[in-house]
This record gives sequence, structure tokens and C-alpha cells, in this order.
Amino acid sequence: MEESCKDIEQMLVDYADGQLSPSDSSKVGEHLTKCEECRKVLDTLQKSLELAGVIWADGLAETASIRIPAAKTRKIRWPQYAAIAASILVLATASVVWHTVVRPKESKLTFAEIERKITESGSAARLLAAAELLSENPEAETIVKQQYQYIVETYPKTAAAAEAKLRIK
Amino acid sequence: MNQIIADFVVEMDHATNEWLPESNLMEVFSAELWRLKRIIAGMGLSASDGDDVLQDVSIRALKQCRGGSRTALLSREDDVKWLIKVTVNRCLMEHRRRRTFRRHVSEILKRRLETKKASKPAVENVIVAEELEIVRENLQKLDDSLLAPMVLRYFCDLNSKEVGEILALSPSAVRSRLREARMILAKRLLERGVEP
Repeated sequence: MEESCKDIEQMLVDYADGQLSPSDSSKVGEHLTKCEECRKVLDTLQKSLELAGVIWADGLAETASIRIPAAKTRKIRWPQYAAIAASILVLATASVVWHTVVRPKESKLTFAEIERKITESGSAARLLAAAELLSENPEAETIVKQQYQYIVETYPKTAAAAEAKLRIK
Repeated sequence: MNQIIADFVVEMDHATNEWLPESNLMEVFSAELWRLKRIIAGMGLSASDGDDVLQDVSIRALKQCRGGSRTALLSREDDVKWLIKVTVNRCLMEHRRRRTFRRHVSEILKRRLETKKASKPAVENVIVAEELEIVRENLQKLDDSLLAPMVLRYFCDLNSKEVGEILALSPSAVRSRLREARMILAKRLLERGVEP
């Protein structure tokens, strides 16, 4: 390798990446036509990047299978949470129906109101199930508490809100 | 769970209209998942480690949404950079701990041959295997400060300025690290007698 090869070598990566100024680029290009050693380094730079790309792409093939958050999902007992949510929903619905049908004198609700209450109960139950799900992760503790608080504040008259109050305590 | 979180965030948005920043970080997270997976792959993490990394990133993103610590003025681009930064840092932690890229080259080649129907001659495969092994070893040994810029620049197609913004480096520092990293890989190949 000639003495000037060291200077050129410093610029080879930028040359390969097209990051050099036109004057530096032509200087390197000119040197490369004369120096086999530097050409070899340049070709090896390219080759090593291609090989690194193969290794990265292989890793990508592996990570492509990740379904967020797959590992934790396996540990989550979905049927259990679904059962909790369904139970709360059934209780809430039964409560609404009882208040409207069995005790009409105390509360004359319209069908729209009944529908709204059922929807609210469903939403609250769903959010409660989500909070239970998040509570699996210790790092999500604050979020989970905020979520319970949100349920209590937004759907105060639902069974899920009562459950959320208990969880907060 | 993603769906539940997404539903929850939408619910918050409709109900209060004040908890979320304009650019919904969780939506950006879902949309940019492919890019985050690329970073994880580039850092050499396994699927299970990558799974943990993405889980942590999603939780941090959710906290950011819910905690209101991100201003509504941040753009989607800022959100993407934030997610990449968190993912890179989390990957570096794993990488330091585990020194990854442990997969054997024979497995890599086997998978490549399975996906590419036209197989190369056996001798050529042996040569490629040896070269891949050298690069794999050296990627594994590469300092974290050099690996992260390499992955972001050459595998995630970010430019030096973007890489610098994510890694809190100047573009010239990024270029300097890229030069060093690539020269290390090339020199090791040459030292082991690999012909370009």
C-alpha cells in the first residue's frame, strides 16, 4: 500500500456511500484506478455490508413472526378475562332490566336510556377487562390505576365501576 | 391485547377529548411496527427477546399517551423518532446482556436456500458460510456504539442526520462511527483471507 493509501482509506466508506464532495470523490476515484490494494478494500467494504445484510435479514425473518405481544399473550388467560367481562356485562344488564321492568314505578326509563346504560355497562366491562390484562405487567401499574379511575369516573353506576373501585383500594 | 389497547385509547379520546396528543403514539406504534422489527433484527435479538422489547416499547408508548407527558404539538415524525429511540435503547440493553447474533450460519444458509429455490453449488455455499461466519462473529463483537448506527443507517435506510437525531449524535459523529464499524468488518474479512 502506498503512503497516500492511508488517507484514501479514511474516505473509502464515505466514497462507497456517495457522501464525498465531488472533488474528494474524483480524488479517490483516480487513486482507485491505480491502486489495487485500495480497490480490494473498497470491494471488501461492499461485500461485508452485503453479508451483514444477510444476517440482519435472517433476523428479520425471525422477528417477522412476532405478534405483539405474543409471548405475554400466551401467558394471559383469555377465557378467564372474557368470562369476567361477560359476567359483569350480564350482571349489569340484569340490573338495568330489573330496574326498568320489575321496578317501573321507581324509574321510568325510555328504551334509549336502557340502551345507553347497557352500552355503558358493556364499555366499562370491556375497559375493566383491558385493565386486568395490562395489570399482568408490573410496569403498567400506573396506567392500570388510571384506567380503573377512568372507569369509576366515566361509568360510575356500572358494576365494572364498582369492581374498579375495589381494585383501586 | 393491541386491539383492546387501541379500543381503550379511542374510548378515552371520545370520552374526554383531552387525554391524547394529536398524533396518537399507539397508532404510530402499530403503523411503524415493521420498522421497529427491523431494528430488533439488526441488533441480532431473537424472536422472544424481540417480543419483550416490543412489549416494553408498547407499554412505554401507552404511558406516554396516558401520562400526557408528550405534548400535542409533536408531529408523527417526532413520534416515530421517539419510538425508534426507545426501541434502539431497549435493544442495546438486551444486546449488551446477551451478546446476540448467536444463530449458526448453517441455519441462516439453510433458511436462505429454502426461500431461494435455485441453490448454489456446495463449494460456493461453504465459502459463503465461512464469510458469513466471520461477519457474524464481528457483528457480535462490534461495540454497541458502532452497531446501532450501522443498523439504522444500512438496514433501516435512515440517513446520517436522522440516525444522529435518534442516537443523540451529530451527523459527523455518525459518519465517523459508520466508517469505523465498516472498516472493522472489512479488515477482519481481509485478515482471514477472504477475496472480495
